[in-house]
Amino acid sequence: MGWIKTKWTPEQADRWTKEDYITFIISPLIYVLLALGVAFSLLLLWYGWVMVGASIILLIVMIKIIDPKLKAISEDYETKQKKYLEDLEKIARWEE
Amino acid sequence: MVNFAFLDWFWLVAFIILMVFCGVLFYKLGKRSLSDFFLAGRGLPWWLPAASVYATHSATDTPMWISGVIYKYGMRGIWYTFFSAWCAISAFASTRIFRRSLAYTQAEWQTLRYSGLGAELLRGWIAGWQVFMNMFVLGWVGIAMGKLCGFLFGWPEWIGLILFSSLCAIYVLAAGYWGVVMADFQQGVIAFSVIIIVSLWGIVAAGGPSGIMAKLDALGETWRLSPFAFSGVTSGDFPLAWFLTMMVIAIIGGFGMGTAIDWYPEAQRIQSAKTVRDSSYSIWAGSALIIVRNSLWTVAILAFYSLYPRIQSTAEYEMAWYRLGFEFLPVGLVGFFFAAIVAIHLSTISTHLNLGASYATRDLYHHYFKPKASDKELVWVGRITTLIILLGSFVYGLMMQEITQWLIFALWIMAAGIWLPNILQVIWWRFNAWGYLSSWIANLGFSWLVVWVLPEFKVIPVLPDYLQFWSMMVLGAVIYIPITFLTKPEDMDRLVKYYVMSRPLGWWKPVAEEAERRGLLKLEDHRSRGGN
Repeated sequence: MGWIKTKWTPEQADRWTKEDYITFIISPLIYVLLALGVAFSLLLLWYGWVMVGASIILLIVMIKIIDPKLKAISEDYETKQKKYLEDLEKIARWEE
Repeated sequence: MVNFAFLDWFWLVAFIILMVFCGVLFYKLGKRSLSDFFLAGRGLPWWLPAASVYATHSATDTPMWISGVIYKYGMRGIWYTFFSAWCAISAFASTRIFRRSLAYTQAEWQTLRYSGLGAELLRGWIAGWQVFMNMFVLGWVGIAMGKLCGFLFGWPEWIGLILFSSLCAIYVLAAGYWGVVMADFQQGVIAFSVIIIVSLWGIVAAGGPSGIMAKLDALGETWRLSPFAFSGVTSGDFPLAWFLTMMVIAIIGGFGMGTAIDWYPEAQRIQSAKTVRDSSYSIWAGSALIIVRNSLWTVAILAFYSLYPRIQSTAEYEMAWYRLGFEFLPVGLVGFFFAAIVAIHLSTISTHLNLGASYATRDLYHHYFKPKASDKELVWVGRITTLIILLGSFVYGLMMQEITQWLIFALWIMAAGIWLPNILQVIWWRFNAWGYLSSWIANLGFSWLVVWVLPEFKVIPVLPDYLQFWSMMVLGAVIYIPITFLTKPEDMDRLVKYYVMSRPLGWWKPVAEEAERRGLLKLEDHRSRGGN
């Protein structure tokens, strides 16, 4: 998956990119396959197992796509969080 | 009525002691600060809030509701339970944005996104509404437990309502959200194990998968095995139009905040996760568990249908999953099953006690009554409001028979007309507090008109659910879109601050440009935004 970016700077990770939009499509698809796949598998219908298998494969693909970006966002954001929390308290206490 | 053997009572008492002890154990962590009492110090790994999402949304009335729709509609009823799929997109869109805002509650978020009087009106309104809603949900779920105890042991309803909610309050009062989330974890494990055991037991009792399918075939009802057996495009009891509407509400709703009633407890779990990444995974995984659970229940109810077909009484077939457990599990496991029901119940009660108290403490007491209050004082206010919400829920629970119909209507109208504004406030910079506020007010009026008043006076026919949703959405937009454009945009200082902090997706170009002009964003960021 060379067309998927795996190394992110904090500035790049803050943008909404194709990795996010692909995740928006894959993620609901996994839920649909999981819902139907588990039900059909319990009824011992072969296509239920295929659906569950497909949902697991798509889950792995989704994590490979979005996880590097989420990691970059999280690491950068944690360095700023303390300052933001102070601002939040100022609003709660009407100091801003 | 069921008779408990010694082993059954042993399971029940042991589980209750374990659950309450597990919560109380975190007393010292809960009292450290307001952030600990309501958000576990914002330091949880993803799997703890995920377990809490799952446990919270498995309530005593959930198997009744799912039994009802699956028994009535067959496997296509699974789409009614698919509303939790809003988390599919939300986990990577609105969850990420909300976690970066750091708001304790959705009410507090309003004062970060909007400014001035409009923002304060919204914060006060949402906080008050949430205190009421949590009390209502507690009463609703509590009386469901009261009814179940009446069904099982012949107790008056108030005993089941008060006894188990009070047991739960012990650890919520002591340890706050720390107690909630730690107890939720072990309650979630117990509940999920028992849901698997009972559902599989029920399927086997019905003759296994082949037995279920053979019986449905003999009844001439094999359509019950299809999730796509629609009654028509727009006609019948389960039209394609309703399915598509539910998919839009559930999936596209993930871009917004508050598009599902579950957003409010989820918002607390999002903020309790230690990083943005943890918050995303917690919401996604918790909902995935819910979806798997719903599928287990679906097949178990199909099994029940094959055993007891064509029951007409809704009250009777809504007990389907409980009946599978109590009628087919062997002696000794029945107590285990009931202990799991108590676990399911306590996990929901604990969440709503703590969540309602967070709005009362953080948004009402702290922000409007005593802004200079210390953390110690606020933790105590959190405990007092927890107790008030508990007592209020008893009152609601006992009068629930009379008000349920009204309040389900209230829940529906809260969902329909403000669905789109809940998305717009996330993705469109120009949507302002007055637009959002007017959407709530317009929705209240239009929902009365569309759902009750106009059909009652024969001005319009009674509309099917999907048409009610779309008509309320369009009618509301006729009000809030002009109001948004006729009132000023939000204060640019506030918008820039919010943008830099939360990085929302959608149409935010003027705000991004202003942030860049102020040197708060790098040029590279702005260029990448293209046509936004």
